[in-house]
Amino acid sequence: MKENGQELDRIIREHSLYQCLECGKCSASCPRQLAGKEYSPRLLAHKLIAEREDEAFIESSVWECLTCGLCGERCPSGVNFSRLIMDMRVLLAGTKGLKGYRSHDGALHSWMRIMTSPDLQQERLGWVHAGIRVATYGPVAFFTGCAPYFDIFFAGINVDTLSIARDSVRLLNFLGITPVLLSNERCCGHDLLWTGDRENFETLCRLNYEEFKDAGIKEVVVSCPECFYILSEFMPEIIPTFDIKVTLLIELLEQEFRKGGMAFRPFKHKVTYQDPCRLGRVCGRYDPPRNLLSMIPEMKFREMENSGRSAICCGNNAFINCDSYSKRIQVQRLREARATDADMLITACPKCMIHLTCTMRDPLRRDSLAMEIKDLVSVLADQIEWTGK
Amino acid sequence: MNHVSLLGICCNWSPYACYNAAGMARLKMPPNFRLVRVMCIGRINQALILRAFEYGADGVILLECKDEDCRYGPGPEVGHQNVQRVRRLLRLLGIGQKRLVERSFATHEKEEFVRALWEFSELIQTMGPNPAKPRQELEVS
Ligand code: SF4
Ligand code: SF4
Repeated sequence: MKENGQELDRIIREHSLYQCLECGKCSASCPRQLAGKEYSPRLLAHKLIAEREDEAFIESSVWECLTCGLCGERCPSGVNFSRLIMDMRVLLAGTKGLKGYRSHDGALHSWMRIMTSPDLQQERLGWVHAGIRVATYGPVAFFTGCAPYFDIFFAGINVDTLSIARDSVRLLNFLGITPVLLSNERCCGHDLLWTGDRENFETLCRLNYEEFKDAGIKEVVVSCPECFYILSEFMPEIIPTFDIKVTLLIELLEQEFRKGGMAFRPFKHKVTYQDPCRLGRVCGRYDPPRNLLSMIPEMKFREMENSGRSAICCGNNAFINCDSYSKRIQVQRLREARATDADMLITACPKCMIHLTCTMRDPLRRDSLAMEIKDLVSVLADQIEWTGK
Repeated sequence: MNHVSLLGICCNWSPYACYNAAGMARLKMPPNFRLVRVMCIGRINQALILRAFEYGADGVILLECKDEDCRYGPGPEVGHQNVQRVRRLLRLLGIGQKRLVERSFATHEKEEFVRALWEFSELIQTMGPNPAKPRQELEVS
């Protein structure tokens, strides 16, 4: 790590790693370590500070973390591992090459990098149907994210992430908003950034900004927590003139629904809720999903054993390092969901839906883990109605 | 003439036998054409096809055995399924479905094999270079 000495010092200082007490709370709460993986955030902290010559250890650990942020909730010194890991990956990717075993052999990262092409002319809006109203130019856009791509790529496990986009637009229409859908929107780049590819990530941000400007956009409504995190926190950092309001769909919905004039049809289900890490721990939005769910009559809501700040990750992040330990985390998470006696698991991130659905299909455990899984916006869009009051 | 990069992914069995026989017979192959030999088209997944485009291919052709000739079992069927999915992704990306071609051959079909390569090459020539090429440094790994 010698050649990276200064940069490493900066990263360590910026993330208050020198305040580390070696108390081990991070390791004791890390789902990856608890699943049995040979990985210890505490030891990584120690090596980065005191034993930088152990490059092999540092390099392999940096790619292991799920960046779920659970340890950050417990660390008495406020070490934010998720961001520390991101910076370390960017640093190591620049000098030693991108590592981390890429799930699906890196297909998703490939299409994300292909999207850095400035001349791209996508055909990503084939899913728009007559039942929804959309525009090509106007003040408010809806950010679709990778849903049209996931829809094809994950067709084999029957996960319908495109319905999240459709239902988001339905809800916006319900509120009288006709959102712009950008035909050349790019991936937000979250997964490239969290796998260390900062250069291509920044290109995606800039291209998206150009698309927003060309379509006259003043506000972008986002439903995916990762896209929201990137658009609201990273885009303004990368584009100094960034002047676009970024709105989280569920926050907008909560605020509008509180004004009255609408109601929800009863939903006779027992449900539980998976906090996506980018929505909860990273963006601090624990309440809006719960508040929205509490508006639906006859629905019973039960929290899982680990929820809110302690919620456990869906097992994978940025589509790297999915392995038997990820599966163990997912199995544990689904067992917690089943233990609530709920018949439906509600989530708010397409990736939680993909990863947890994948585990439910495990042929050896199928019956013990399977349950209906639905995104929050789909539940809302299906149950909402005007009361005209 | 457009400069295009063409990639063929070729199964080791029937299609590679055709390729060999075509070489022995000194049949002329299209220029700018690179061939990667794999043991079975079933080895090729969606990611590898996409990566060829990420790395700058203008067209990719999968050269397979006939379904019933696969030495391993379901190879060509895996190929059909992957091609179908990747084509849909290429369409979304604006690269276009036609830049991914799939052809199958029996062991003795060297003329058909070479003709297929020429047809593929002409198709991509007329389409021109793939517009959706990442301009930046590719990953270092
Ligand atoms: S929880 Fe924080 S202070 Fe404790 S060992 Fe981990 S990084 Fe260090
Ligand atoms: S962010 Fe999550 S996976 Fe990474 S060290 Fe912390 S608890 Fe473990």
